Amino acid sequence: MTSTPTASQTASEAPDVAAVAPAAPRPQMKRKPGEAVFALLVALASAGLMWSAYDISGFESLSAPGTVPMVTAFAMFVAAVITAAQTLRLPAMGGSFLREVLPLNVVLMALLLLAYGFALKPLGFLPTSAIFLIAAIKLLAKRSWGFTVLVSLASLIGIYFVFRVVFTVLMPAGIVPEGEMIQFFRNLLSKGQS
Amino acid sequence: MEMLSAFFMVFTHPQLLMLVGLGTLAGVYVGAIPGLSVTMAVSILISFTFSWDVHPAIALMIGIYMGGVYGGSRTAILLNIPGAPSAIATAMDGYPMAKRGEAGTAIGVTTVMSFFGGFIGIGVLALAAPFVSDFALGFQPRDYMLLAILGILLVGSLSGGSLVKGIFAGAFGIALGAVGMDPLTFTERFTFDLPVMRSGISFIAVMIGMFGVSEALAQLHHVDTVAVKQKISRIVPSFGTIRKHLPLSLQTSTIGVIIGALPGTGGDIAALMAYDHAKRVTRNPEREFGDGAIEGLVAPETANNAAVGGAFIPMMTLGIPGDAVTAIMIGALFIHGLNPGPMLMVDQPDMFWFIVGSLVVANFFMLIFGLTGIKIFTKIVEMPRAVLIPLILLLSIVGAYAVNNSITDVYWMLGFGVLGYFMRYYGYPLGPVILGVILSRLLDDNWRRAIISAKGDFGLFMQGIVTSPLSLVLFIAVIFIFVNQTPLWPMIKRRVFGRGKAAE
Amino acid sequence: MKHLILGAVSALALGVTGAVAQDYPTKEIQGIIQWGAGGSTDTVMRSVTPHAEEALGGTIVMQNVTGGVGAIALNQVANGDADGYTLMMGAENPLLYKVMGLGDKDYNDFTPINILARGTPILVAGPDAPFDDYAGMMQFIADNPGDLRFGSTGPGGLPSVVTAMIESVEGDLDVIFVPYDGDGPALTALQGGAIDVMPAVLGAAVEGIRAGTMKPLAVFDNTASSALPDVPTISSAQPDYESLLPWGPFFGVFVKKGTPDDVVAKLSDAYATGAEAEDFKALMDGRGFTMMNISGDEASDFLTKWQETTAWLMQDAGLTKTSPEEFGIARPGE
Repeated sequence: MTSTPTASQTASEAPDVAAVAPAAPRPQMKRKPGEAVFALLVALASAGLMWSAYDISGFESLSAPGTVPMVTAFAMFVAAVITAAQTLRLPAMGGSFLREVLPLNVVLMALLLLAYGFALKPLGFLPTSAIFLIAAIKLLAKRSWGFTVLVSLASLIGIYFVFRVVFTVLMPAGIVPEGEMIQFFRNLLSKGQS
Repeated sequence: MEMLSAFFMVFTHPQLLMLVGLGTLAGVYVGAIPGLSVTMAVSILISFTFSWDVHPAIALMIGIYMGGVYGGSRTAILLNIPGAPSAIATAMDGYPMAKRGEAGTAIGVTTVMSFFGGFIGIGVLALAAPFVSDFALGFQPRDYMLLAILGILLVGSLSGGSLVKGIFAGAFGIALGAVGMDPLTFTERFTFDLPVMRSGISFIAVMIGMFGVSEALAQLHHVDTVAVKQKISRIVPSFGTIRKHLPLSLQTSTIGVIIGALPGTGGDIAALMAYDHAKRVTRNPEREFGDGAIEGLVAPETANNAAVGGAFIPMMTLGIPGDAVTAIMIGALFIHGLNPGPMLMVDQPDMFWFIVGSLVVANFFMLIFGLTGIKIFTKIVEMPRAVLIPLILLLSIVGAYAVNNSITDVYWMLGFGVLGYFMRYYGYPLGPVILGVILSRLLDDNWRRAIISAKGDFGLFMQGIVTSPLSLVLFIAVIFIFVNQTPLWPMIKRRVFGRGKAAE
Repeated sequence: MKHLILGAVSALALGVTGAVAQDYPTKEIQGIIQWGAGGSTDTVMRSVTPHAEEALGGTIVMQNVTGGVGAIALNQVANGDADGYTLMMGAENPLLYKVMGLGDKDYNDFTPINILARGTPILVAGPDAPFDDYAGMMQFIADNPGDLRFGSTGPGGLPSVVTAMIESVEGDLDVIFVPYDGDGPALTALQGGAIDVMPAVLGAAVEGIRAGTMKPLAVFDNTASSALPDVPTISSAQPDYESLLPWGPFFGVFVKKGTPDDVVAKLSDAYATGAEAEDFKALMDGRGFTMMNISGDEASDFLTKWQETTAWLMQDAGLTKTSPEEFGIARPGE
């Protein structure tokens, strides 16, 4: 461990990444599966961004809309290239990319989220979320159907109440006639009052 | 005498007292849920309280504001998902504490310190509002720009593992903030000619994705581990603890008031700057920063609650909003027949003292609600992960949608969740990304304004900095921190030149 | 044959919507506010709508959909159903989307329910500005070319239109334009001395003027404002402005074109009643807005005229992306 007077600020080797990167074991002396590819992709993307930033207004003037984007894209690119160079120098850690980085649970959950994104608009918030919660909890917790459905629906109703009824966030209604439902309850309530 | 009766009005009217309390309680929960924001709650209240008198309406809004700013820390500590942008820094040291079962202590310290910071903010508002607002109004575009650069230098504090990756992440954040149609010139930036990109990327979507979804995905790696039992026997911090952090909390509260009083900057930037300040002045923390340092909780929480009082300063003295919430409150005052502006303090000083009184009451309620009901909150983290993770994911989706009622934001949020997952895994810090997004507009817009005002001449721009005392102080601060605290230059030298890599 | 089927289908559709319209509203109505919480559009809509709800006997849930200078909200409503359950609550900007290249839709794709009120522009200067009126400002610009800092907002905003008016009357101004993203932040900067002159909507400046933190130069109208009766009108200082005025931003409620007539009528009645509410009128007056409360053909004519004047003004100032001609927007007076 090299120690400079400012090591606590930069924490170049200090063990304090837990807060922002709990999944990353440290200190990182070996290259994780897929890390080199990621670093190269990042560098490549930064290069693309640099070009895109130049495209905004070129070297027109100091106050052009593209000036700050160009400087930042350049900073990204330099940092990404340095990172890539450092990463490539590290010895590979070994281990399979799929097992280490993308275990089955993560892949399944990502697929569920993707499906959620696609189904949300046509199907509506309530059915999509109910299916999502039931599927996810069943997959992860491996508990009985009764438990899964009960927990899912109870929490969904809670979330729906807070967001839709109290905060009037209009989630996509899809196939559920939400507007009519809520108006119905509103009418009931106002009748009860008068 | 009239001033006193206005100040005590909220204490003597049980209905008002109750409304402030109710608002504060609601605020704590609104703040704790990512995606539900105080801004949203207050703007809904405008229609809701339209037919009310002005006093109860304002009392309710103030309660929500105070509670909401504080509430963001709850989920930050317990789940590593900041409920509101101003709690981002709180997650850095709060979550490691919760992972050790010390969530109770963390929440206790946070609550007491928020209370303390809140009072400093209110105190400055009550005693020095005209002075502070004159000072804040004097900030020129170049000063805002220097302030943003000061903020960007925080990357050093937030980077954790690798500074180079931190710089990348910070720059990435600034670039993200620039995506879309530039509001000053209508030029499209980083849109790749896609219509969806035109309106930019919602900052909240990035935050929820990077912190919420990526955290949830990362936790899937060990879904079967039993959740840490939380010790909640000792919640109220000892007097010794409070006394020990008194000097720091005074400093960070001052940062909070000033940043809060500046139009255009609010609790989020204040909290991050305070965190950085704490990291710089704390010589020997009991635990490292990022590993559960108490100072890392004290600083942002005092600052963001002090910023509440700060935000009211320009609002009450000039009718200029200090942040998004006070902007809506100005609208509310208009609706209720008042004319917020420089004359409000002269024409209706009662209103000013009523607001100060309500803030004081809200601050007390925040302390009460903060120190009670912790048991229920900590139960959340003790839930089995297999249930908690899907709920976090769903809440993230709804939260991202709620900000702007837009499905596109949900897709952005999920995309950044996945990207954040990989960045997290490969050791790219996520804090600087959010920092970059927050500061992007402040830096970019004010840089351009400053240069345009100097007729596009860099020499004239520098001359402006050197001849204005305020700019000069900020400029020296930037140089000082850059050279002294961010060993960027020696580091690049050591890493790149040291190994004989060509650098020219 | 094809016509027959089409006819049958549309008859069916009409029949269905007709049945729906009779007891409209049967469910919640969504109000899409084009601008963010706390802005003037937001404030206006959130204060008039509770009164309209009362008159209508239904619930209107308002949400802010921001982004793309309001185009996101406009497209969202335009892409929805024309059933009267989605209201567009907006300001004047959409009328300039086409010429500014911000979108291919404007209020021509909508039916106006009510144009509630109109704002008046005013030219204000910082308290320390070395001139006190419009003539003094023009003299200062002539004597100190390139020194005066003018606040501006993106093309299409009120400041850009007012500036275009000044340039169309006085010729190009040799001043520095410092961009801000709204007249609120720009007026703050004006009081802090970061800019010298700013064209703003009267309501946003009126309190500062009363307190002396801003100096009014001229009201951009042909008649003096009741909120600031002592401030001279621009046409008294320079008669050439008379033909361009009155001009101002406005707030209105719209539904997608094709909404059944009886639904439009019900909504128009509700908002007309809502806009008559005393506290709403007092609010608008206090903020320096001129009540309009117009609907139907009157509103449509107003929109057409507004669009013609403004689009061509912008075109002549060289601020447009596409000529108004391309979209069939006639030059005023032709």
